[in-house]
Amino acid sequence: MFKLLKKIAGRKKRLKPDQSKNTLTEQNHQKEQFISAQIEENLDLMNEIYQIPHNGDVKIRELKLGGSGRKAAILFISSIADVRTVEDSAIKPLLANTRENAGIDEIIATQNVTAFSNIKSLVENINLGNAVIFLDGSTKAFTFDCANFQGRSVEKAESEVLIKGSKEALTEKVIVNLSLIRKRIKNENLIAESMTISKRSHNVVYILYIRNLADEKLIANVKKRLASLNVDAIQNLSLLEQYIEDRRLSLFPSLLYTERPDRATSFLEDGHIVLLMDNSPDSIVLPATFWSFFHTAEEHYLRFIFGNFVRVIRMVAMFITIFISAIYISVTTFHTEMIPADLLLAIAGTREKVPFPIFFEILLMEAAFELIREAGLRVPNPMGPTIGIVGALILGQAAVEANIISPIVIIVVALSGLTSFTVSDISLNFALRIIRFLFILSAGVFGIYGMTALFIMGLFYLVSLKSFGVPYLAPMSPHYVSSGDTIFRRVLTHENFRPGYLKPVDIKKKGDGAAK
Amino acid sequence: MKRRRRVIKLCVMMPLVMLLTGCWDLTGLDEKVFVIGIGLDKAEEKGKVDITYLIANAEMGSANGASSNEPSSMTITLRASDFISMKNTANSVISREISYDLLRLILVSEELAKEDDFIRFIYSAIKDREVKRTVHLIVSKEKAEDFFDKNKPLFLSRPHKYYVNMLNRGNEIGLIPESLMHHFLRITEADADLFLSAYTTTDIKKTEDKTRADENDSLAGEMRVEGVTNNSQFLGAAVFSEGKMIGTLTGVENRIAMMINDTTEVSDVISVFPDPSNEDYQVSVRVRKKQNTKVNMDLNAEPPQIHVTLPILLDVLTDPPMNNPVESKKKLENIRKGMENYMEGRVKELVQRTQKEFKADPFGWSLYGRKEFKTLKEYMEFDWMKTYPDMKVDVDVSVSLGKFGRQPKAPSYKEIRD
Amino acid sequence: MKQSEGKIGIRELMAIIMLSVGTKLTDDTPSILYSTAKNSAWMSMLLIGIVSIIPVFFLVKVFSVHKDKNLHQLNIHLFGKFVGNMVSFGLLLFGFTALVLDSATYADIISTMYFTKTPFLPIYLILLIVCGYGAKRGIEHIGSTAWLTIFYLKITLFIALLISFLQGEFKMIYPLWGPGIGEIVKTAGRNISVFADFYYLGLIAPLVSSYKSFKKGTLLAYLIVAIELVIPLIIFVMIFDFTSIEIMQYPFHEMILYISLGFLTNVETIFLPFWLIASFIRFSFYLYLVVLLFGGVFKIKEFEFLIPVIVVLVLFSGLAPKYGEFTIPHLREFFLTTLSPIFFGLPCLMLFIAKVRGDFKHEAAKESH
Repeated sequence: MFKLLKKIAGRKKRLKPDQSKNTLTEQNHQKEQFISAQIEENLDLMNEIYQIPHNGDVKIRELKLGGSGRKAAILFISSIADVRTVEDSAIKPLLANTRENAGIDEIIATQNVTAFSNIKSLVENINLGNAVIFLDGSTKAFTFDCANFQGRSVEKAESEVLIKGSKEALTEKVIVNLSLIRKRIKNENLIAESMTISKRSHNVVYILYIRNLADEKLIANVKKRLASLNVDAIQNLSLLEQYIEDRRLSLFPSLLYTERPDRATSFLEDGHIVLLMDNSPDSIVLPATFWSFFHTAEEHYLRFIFGNFVRVIRMVAMFITIFISAIYISVTTFHTEMIPADLLLAIAGTREKVPFPIFFEILLMEAAFELIREAGLRVPNPMGPTIGIVGALILGQAAVEANIISPIVIIVVALSGLTSFTVSDISLNFALRIIRFLFILSAGVFGIYGMTALFIMGLFYLVSLKSFGVPYLAPMSPHYVSSGDTIFRRVLTHENFRPGYLKPVDIKKKGDGAAK
Repeated sequence: MKRRRRVIKLCVMMPLVMLLTGCWDLTGLDEKVFVIGIGLDKAEEKGKVDITYLIANAEMGSANGASSNEPSSMTITLRASDFISMKNTANSVISREISYDLLRLILVSEELAKEDDFIRFIYSAIKDREVKRTVHLIVSKEKAEDFFDKNKPLFLSRPHKYYVNMLNRGNEIGLIPESLMHHFLRITEADADLFLSAYTTTDIKKTEDKTRADENDSLAGEMRVEGVTNNSQFLGAAVFSEGKMIGTLTGVENRIAMMINDTTEVSDVISVFPDPSNEDYQVSVRVRKKQNTKVNMDLNAEPPQIHVTLPILLDVLTDPPMNNPVESKKKLENIRKGMENYMEGRVKELVQRTQKEFKADPFGWSLYGRKEFKTLKEYMEFDWMKTYPDMKVDVDVSVSLGKFGRQPKAPSYKEIRD
Repeated sequence: MKQSEGKIGIRELMAIIMLSVGTKLTDDTPSILYSTAKNSAWMSMLLIGIVSIIPVFFLVKVFSVHKDKNLHQLNIHLFGKFVGNMVSFGLLLFGFTALVLDSATYADIISTMYFTKTPFLPIYLILLIVCGYGAKRGIEHIGSTAWLTIFYLKITLFIALLISFLQGEFKMIYPLWGPGIGEIVKTAGRNISVFADFYYLGLIAPLVSSYKSFKKGTLLAYLIVAIELVIPLIIFVMIFDFTSIEIMQYPFHEMILYISLGFLTNVETIFLPFWLIASFIRFSFYLYLVVLLFGGVFKIKEFEFLIPVIVVLVLFSGLAPKYGEFTIPHLREFFLTTLSPIFFGLPCLMLFIAKVRGDFKHEAAKESH
């Protein structure tokens, strides 16, 4: 902002000289070598690359092969390699070897052995937690998988809570996540492609899709976007989302974020694509439509009527959370004839003593509610609920007693805040909260006319959004063949088709007469 | 560069948009004061009326423990040309903006209602958007100013409730008509029927009433009421023809008119008839319409004829003679015949009165009549209002008996006094 | 903003038609009909509905042989370059006038009925800004929005009409023939242009996903809209008698001021947002059509950038009349009367010329190959 003002004012920006060195290319250059036959040279190179005496957890175990007596060395990073495997399946057999001319791959007893001859792949493998064996006199080095990163175990879902249904949540280890998803789709065509997306930290993204379901073009599009990233580090999916999303400045998210494996699985089965990464206890589903944010998994696990009941409640809650404060403002200031007479006199009576106009009161209370909400998230656990209740009650009660605000405003604001909790998706939640303020503003300025104008403009905007080529409000608005699950869901046996907007290869989910 | 320019443009446009926005219509609730009733009285000058506002006190009865010493309403009377300019004129006395959002009744004094000029004043009601067509238009015997002054209903914290309840309940049982402004405008413009409006007063007789079968067979103010209770009466109807008041109907007559008219609904009617078997006593009956009134017209005859059939279902609720009519069919038939004759008599009386005195009908028969014409021109030429007094009207009441109360039989008088 | 030449499907087409023509019952079109046909205006409307099927059907038929042309290109093809451009220019003028008069009327309704103290300019400005935004988004988004909201709009309309029906009195529509058959027919003749919107639909004919959907959608929507326009005319008379209704300017809004839902005595604020949504969509559509035609006549490819210009033009034209309250309704009546014969005559002429030119034979020849 300041820069903008300075530019308007005409001050020239003093450019700082470009002092940064591109150390990454130097680092990469160092690795453009091949293994030499002399083990000493290799080990010296490794020492330099890894700064071994300084780098505490990188370990080199030099040994002499049993049987032939040649020098060998095993290199691994002890904090991320499974030391047990290294010791039992590699070092032990090597030392106990009796045959003379056996190759390394015939001696060690690990799950796999690969041979490389360039330093770059070796360093990559070591960084991934695998171990490398150098052999004196050989220009090839052998690696085997033994990665064991530390992470949290599988726990209950925290933000998407269900009563009926599985309670597992994804964790930070991508292996565990893959395992949870493969547990649900036991199909050889479930492909989990991996791709490295950052230059310095070498973060790996796993792209999951079902090969003969998902649209080829969509997969190619996603891979292209991921390959075109030119960043040093993308640590987790939340950051990745912001790199590959369609519109960065828009209020509405274009990628779905879920921490539940069962939800990710159901999207996979519909033909979506799921992204997984290490360090992210969640997954990204794309493409995402508005309805995927609106639905929760529970509605399909419940029976037809109960599921629709929950949908109705959520629809009403969404409506209330966006509009109720705005409606209150517009009805009491612009359209007073609408309120029944007794209520009108009651509200007028309570407003006699209050100093602020209604618009300001509502804004004040909404801001206070948001503050309490944010604070409540960060309060340490033992005191959490108590402070929340105490804060809300006392603040509200005291404010009414002090005649700063009228009691009806508290009801209105509390309602609008509470109903926003029914939307469990965090991005949509934020979007709704911000929209609510926009509506309050428009209502305070022009009453119901302003609200409707903003609503229609918002609708025009929503309808024109696209997420990876899929219109945001499909399948309702441009009509596509689909399972008919937008606002209300259908009986499970009648949801016959996959979403047509994904252009899946096989559009039918069930055979005719799926249940008699 | 491009993006910066866009941001600059937005930042500059925003405040401008804010400036031109509609805070013109924005008024906080505490800046308004709500008028519940408007009273219109005749003023001495031509072209002016004396207007009285009945303003509700918003703080009464609210949970915040308002001071109970304040009255629940206030009145203000000013001279003005209509009640739209009055909104600003009153602001010399009242501190807040006057709002007609809660307006429920317009009370006209009988004196003003009988004036030719009355209709000019009342038509300003359609010009202001806040005055709805569902406002009640009622007539008071004395000046509206005095009515609002003296009317102090008990058990009241909100005055509008009193008026709304009174008018609704009275309309339900048929003692006062449904006097909506909407019907007044429609009937006056259609120029064929009479408009009935509720009649009220606070001027209640404290002297002896003349005897009559049904106490309600009188006008507001003529029924003697004693005790510590509300001091206004709503009973009977004022009859308007072409926008001017020309007479009154008693409560019972009004009820009969409302029953004959299909467009008005009366539901909970309890009436009193003289007992056919014993002159000294009266029987209370619940009167209900079995079906819609059947109206047959023959407008080509000379004079035009109307034949009306009114099907009635009667529940006999009391039995003062205590001689158990339920026991014998002959007794039942007697009762039925007696009541039918009585009702027909009253109805014929009322119809004759409308033909001779008012020269138009309050029963909505012109709507039936319209069906008989093909074009508006023919209908206008026929001129319902002019031809009505000469029509031959035949009303047939057909009574069927329903229930006889919770317990049909009562011990006979003789048995008890033996 | 990229130009979106997307296609609209049959649902969106029907929704747009039902909203643009259906909202005509909420402005002063009924009062124009009532002023001459009195309480038999519904008969006039029925007659208009029956008669207007002819030009609409002809238009659809002409498009069956020119599936990829829009109305402007069709004009040039049939009438030749000069006359075709003249015809299109005339259509453009009429369309622009309709847009100005109608939007000014709606802003007037909002101003008198709901926001009495607010000056005319802000209301009109916001109306046009929102519609301009919608038009800029393109026809497929207008269509999607129309399809999304139409269900709720029609339900609330239905509820309002139902309640009015129950609170009204059926006998008030008698005498049946009102001012006489002659008057009824004359009113019908003068106001055929109520359905002139269908003619302008030709502009978006190539944007509909297939000709079959265009044909089916147009005819089906025509049927629905014709019924939709007749029924409220009956209901208005049922509540307000024939005398009151002649002097009422906006009967629909008076009606929602009158009805009450139980304990809620004033419910017009509930119906207001739905009506506003319908109006916004209607004017976005009109604006889009005008801009499209403008781009066609003056050979401008990226016509979407014209929208702000046209919006400003409409704004100032709408504010221009000195005594807006009087001139605008009169202008509307005059305008409707003038447009009627043109709307009726042009499609017939087009069909005639197409037949003479042998376009139908060409089509038959193409198909037989």
